[in-house]
Amino acid sequence: MEITGQLLLTVLMGAFLLGVAAFLARVEDWRSYTPLGAGGGAVGESGYGHSEKPAGLIRWFTTVDHKDIGLLYGAYATVAFVVGGLMVMLMRAELTTPETAVLGSATFYNSLLTSHGITMLFLFGTPIIAAFSNYLIPLVIGADDMAFPRINAIAFWLLPPGALLIWAGFFPLPDVIPAQTAWTMYTPLSAGVGNGNQMNVGVDLMLLGLHLTGVSATMGAINFIATIFTERAEEVTWANLDIFSWTILTQSGLILFAFPLLGSALVMLLLDRNFATTFFAVEGGGPILWQHLFWFFGHPEVYILVLPPMGIVSYVLPRFSGRKLFGFKFVVYSTLAIGVLSFGVWAHHMFATGIDPRLRASFMAVSLAIAIPSAVKTFNWITTMWNGKLRLTTPMLFCIGFVSNFIIGGVTGVFLASIPVDLVLHDTYYVVGHFHYIVMGAITFAGMAGIYYWFPLVTGRWYQRRLAKAHFWLWMIGTNVTFFAMVLLGYGGMPRRYATYLPQFATLHQIASLGAFLLLVGGIIWIYNVAVSWIEGPRVQSGDPWRLDETDLNTAEWDWFEAKRETSLAATDGGEDVTADGGQEIEDDTAE
Amino acid sequence: MAEIFDRDTLLDLTVNVIPLGIILFFVAAFVLIDPFGGLDFYGRVLQMGLLAFPLVALAILTYVSGKAIAGDEKRSKVFFQGQATIEGSPEKHEVEEAIEAEAAGETDVEDPYGGDADEDESEVDPDADDNDDNDDESDVDADDESDESDESDADEDGEVDADEK
Ligand code: HEM
Ligand SMILES: [Cu+2]
Repeated sequence: MEITGQLLLTVLMGAFLLGVAAFLARVEDWRSYTPLGAGGGAVGESGYGHSEKPAGLIRWFTTVDHKDIGLLYGAYATVAFVVGGLMVMLMRAELTTPETAVLGSATFYNSLLTSHGITMLFLFGTPIIAAFSNYLIPLVIGADDMAFPRINAIAFWLLPPGALLIWAGFFPLPDVIPAQTAWTMYTPLSAGVGNGNQMNVGVDLMLLGLHLTGVSATMGAINFIATIFTERAEEVTWANLDIFSWTILTQSGLILFAFPLLGSALVMLLLDRNFATTFFAVEGGGPILWQHLFWFFGHPEVYILVLPPMGIVSYVLPRFSGRKLFGFKFVVYSTLAIGVLSFGVWAHHMFATGIDPRLRASFMAVSLAIAIPSAVKTFNWITTMWNGKLRLTTPMLFCIGFVSNFIIGGVTGVFLASIPVDLVLHDTYYVVGHFHYIVMGAITFAGMAGIYYWFPLVTGRWYQRRLAKAHFWLWMIGTNVTFFAMVLLGYGGMPRRYATYLPQFATLHQIASLGAFLLLVGGIIWIYNVAVSWIEGPRVQSGDPWRLDETDLNTAEWDWFEAKRETSLAATDGGEDVTADGGQEIEDDTAE
Repeated sequence: MAEIFDRDTLLDLTVNVIPLGIILFFVAAFVLIDPFGGLDFYGRVLQMGLLAFPLVALAILTYVSGKAIAGDEKRSKVFFQGQATIEGSPEKHEVEEAIEAEAAGETDVEDPYGGDADEDESEVDPDADDNDDNDDESDVDADDESDESDESDADEDGEVDADEK
């Protein structure tokens, strides 16, 4: 009985794969892409013969256009952001009471905690950055597309299966439970040792999913490095490369060194779990080995997440300050400095593990040194605004919010980098407050600044200004209420990662939940605004919707936008069908 | 090499010299004071290696990137960020010279963005066509983001462009 069931499944699977292959063969004319041995263009077919995009869904499944892929990344990140956000809302609801009265079980809380962290960092953070970089970098550096458009598409399409694997534990699958390892996946818990339930296949699936997203990020990074090195327009010398591209280049370098290491560590962990190796067993490499490997990846990862948002802010903030970025080259060099130094600080996450105090001190030294380049950037942003003609548009508000929150997040970080302080605050809510000021208050804020700033560029339409400002203020207040309460909780000694707590922490926890509720409302407004405005927002009336020309702050992507509008207007005026002309196709985004 | 690393470039690079200095400070402190003592040779190598590796890597990267950036500055035209591929944008030094001239009280300073940019606009500016196309919406965006500038225009000292390094 069981055998026939399996047989049936196998046959079905085979038939499905055949169907997929047939479908692909039909929609894609594989031969048109690589005229191997055709000996140049004599045959009349060029290498990347994309004359026209197919319509509808198939376009999105087959696209290799960097702008389409950027939008796919954006859509994906948005879905992940919603999922991760709803997860944390359940957690914050739970934390309104000292007992597990709301969710009913600490196990479920732990599952949400794990998934929230991993979803936000790997499925929202990295992809939302990739959305901006894919869409914009080729435009800004004057490249036709990414260096490897197909690898670009593959890198994206690895992400959805990654998400399904990471969330698999929450699906109604028999015998699969969600991982409860926290995002750091510390051994021995994550190795399934002991009497807990973490030997469950749900953890293996999550590790595999993470591995996929890591492969995706690495492919993307290689692509960006190649693109920025080789595809720049002639005028875009190293001296003329914009700050966003610099941060993406640095980020890609970090990914290239950090993610393969995570991949290897994940494989070792999977081997420990399933094939009885002893990499992280007490009798083998020891559980601390995992922490070293994880944080050697993990600390660069936080800068992988923060550098491009810093780039976005350095790019957008001057546009609404009426002047150019102050100390442009300081910002470039400090970006590179952060990139290098971030590989020398990993054990500041392990000060409390009992590693040799004499080595610990070296990590403290480098951790203090890395604060300098971050501070330099902050001063540059402030100086750019100083005496400038500020225009408090929504993207600008989010940029200012970024700077403000980044200062609090950075300062709390410097304190944590000091060993004696860290020994008191480690594993308390202070740490949670610290990094959320950065990941929510800074990274996500910069993402929103970018989304609002380039919304007209991508959609050709305006968002609703009032809703956007409401979104900003709800988030600015919500972020500070939530995460400052957490800083205070940490001072009080509230340990992190618990579903229950002592009654004396109740008030601050409830305040934090209130702030989170503001964040939820702001988020709903944001989604509504973007969705509705995309469909029926008023059309942008000029190629320079932010009126950057008035302050001589125009940049290449808006120049492209202006040219694109012109072509499409000319084409529509003539009453002709809008079709692709020589690689620069006229998007029908605006109509979607 | 000497020409590439001139005074301006060295000044730009100070930003990375400071973290290098902090690391060097700790190297000296650990050598001179040796606050914990008792490290064997292997431990010493680790302790110093953890400082030396970032130190050396940062020094190399700063040198290489400084050479690439300052070298390109010398070899080819320099524009402000994001403007290199825009037709008609002025070079950085033109803008800076104009600002300096203006600051020095010269009156007939030409706006380096002026000439070309305006020409561009007149060819490009599609507002007229726009109104034919979708006149129902044509006045909407005027009161959208664009009127926000009014909120904060109090400061009128017009000090634009001056500060990019
Ligand atoms: C200004 C420089 C920064 C310094 C000196 C710093 C320092 C630290 C230290 C020492 C810890 C460990 C605290 C502990 O667990 O006891 C920590 C945790 C953390 N930091 Fe930072 N930080 C800085 C900036 C950042 C940035 C920019 C990000 C994010 C992009 C970030 C994200 C995190 C995260 C995610 C954790 C917690 C990891 C975990 O245990 O789950 N930090 N930081
Ligand atoms: Cu760290």
